Amino acid sequence: MTAIELKNVDKYYGQGIARVHVLSDVNFLAELGQLNLVIGPSGSGKSTFLTIAGGLQQPSKGEVWIDGQDIATLKGKERDRLRLDKIGFVLQSYNLLPYLSVADQFALVDRMRKGNLSQEALNTLLVDLGIDQLVNKYPGELSGGQNQRVAIARALYTDPQIILADEPTAALDSARVKVVGQLFHDLAVKHNKAVVVVTHDLRLREFADQVYTIIDGKMTKED
Amino acid sequence: MFLAIKEILHEKVRYSLIVTMVVLTSYLMFILMGMMFGLASENTVAIKSWGTQSVILNKNANASLSQSLISSSDLPKLTDKEALIGQVPVVMETVGTKSSHKTSLQFIGLKGNQFIAKDKLVIVSGHRVEKANQLVLDESLKDKGYKLGRTVKFGNNSNKYTVVGFAKDAKLNVTPIAYGDLSQWQTLRGIGSQFAASGIISKQAHPKVTANLTTYSVDTFIEKLPGYSAQNTVFEFMIGFLMVISVVIIAVFLYILTMQKLPNYAVLRAQGIPAQRLINATLGQALILMIVGVVIGLLLTVGTGAVLPTAVPMLFNWSLILTVALAVIVMGVVGALLPVRIIKKIDPLDALN
Repeated sequence: MTAIELKNVDKYYGQGIARVHVLSDVNFLAELGQLNLVIGPSGSGKSTFLTIAGGLQQPSKGEVWIDGQDIATLKGKERDRLRLDKIGFVLQSYNLLPYLSVADQFALVDRMRKGNLSQEALNTLLVDLGIDQLVNKYPGELSGGQNQRVAIARALYTDPQIILADEPTAALDSARVKVVGQLFHDLAVKHNKAVVVVTHDLRLREFADQVYTIIDGKMTKED
Repeated sequence: MFLAIKEILHEKVRYSLIVTMVVLTSYLMFILMGMMFGLASENTVAIKSWGTQSVILNKNANASLSQSLISSSDLPKLTDKEALIGQVPVVMETVGTKSSHKTSLQFIGLKGNQFIAKDKLVIVSGHRVEKANQLVLDESLKDKGYKLGRTVKFGNNSNKYTVVGFAKDAKLNVTPIAYGDLSQWQTLRGIGSQFAASGIISKQAHPKVTANLTTYSVDTFIEKLPGYSAQNTVFEFMIGFLMVISVVIIAVFLYILTMQKLPNYAVLRAQGIPAQRLINATLGQALILMIVGVVIGLLLTVGTGAVLPTAVPMLFNWSLILTVALAVIVMGVVGALLPVRIIKKIDPLDALN
């Protein structure tokens, strides 16, 4: 089942001679049960692609469908709700508030929506990520890698259908990259989620079901 | 409130500083209010204690009791609701003590058979004036060493007087009063018997007067007391400015804090957390900071009131102070609307930049 679909998407920034063509005729399909890797160098348009695929901004041209809804038809609050309910973001900057302990990061989500992971499932997730001993710590007390894993757990806590990750392994060593890669793959395959990882970390390639390459705003799907 | 409370508890030093600013401004505001009412009270407490509804003065005195002289020929027919008073500023000096002690005060001469001397003086020790050479002093003069039975004189006048009582609420224009016999006012003022009094205090709003006299309502008379309006206006301006300053402080602090938190808020917005939730957190923070700061300010004010010496003119009008405290809290939250505008404009895209 299709979770995200981009049809002939273009994205421009600026106007006139200052206009920059960031994405050009991008077509992308993320199905449930698949880990999709989008690989490209810096400045290739990866982050812009992710923001459009996550409903954070509208394309200049083309259509974006998320969970069967054309996001162009949704109002701001409806897009907020769609992101909260359907999408888990794992960002480079982490998605953690510095004044909330690890446990409170999840408590905050509980206050926003119901239907999150059970305490038992959360505990299992934390053990899998090796952060079960850190629940009372604050982000400032954790290493970059630990913060990244807490951010991943935070994104998965809402049990979203779609997971969008921006350079999720940037702060991790090779051993942790394998753990995270396997985790994303299991989430896609075993838990039937659509996982989209934007990265230039080729170590994740072995876990991917689909690999897209993006260079200068043009996306191609590898066979 | 979850985000607001968690952040305040985690960033204790930062938020303690903000609360300290609110405490200091609110404390200063309440103390100034206490001083304003204290001084206002000491200006008028005697006039109010007499049950004054109106004051009759010489029409050329421009509402000034000390400038007014009512001649015996102008004296209207007095009812039991009117009382003559003769007022003159004097310097009182102790007699018969090792070291003479001088005190500036207002001499108020009364007639013993009129309502002020009979009914309105609250004697806290001793007794009323019964003879021409007796005085009843304001009770605050006890702190300056005056006692019952002490002999005093006024300035260059050779007459000697005995202190026979102390009265509560005996202050006029922030100066202690010495109540004496009206006949002594003529002596101290250096005038003859052609003048009956400085003025007439009436318990009626519209007493009958003769051609050379005019009647002032008690409010008008108080407003025209020397320095009274100016003093109150100065205090009102100071309190008003402090209210504005406290609002600006909370607004500026929250603005700076919000600017620092924009990346975090952008991430939350990207995750789909509504801007309203973040706005509520900011307003909740302002509410908590203002309530905590103002309550501590109130407690400090209560403590200060308990330990201040009686010589300090301080009177706490608690219903008004609580109203102002509430207004300060509300205005602090209004000040937090400045960062709210920024939160509304947060672009979730910033989370990825």
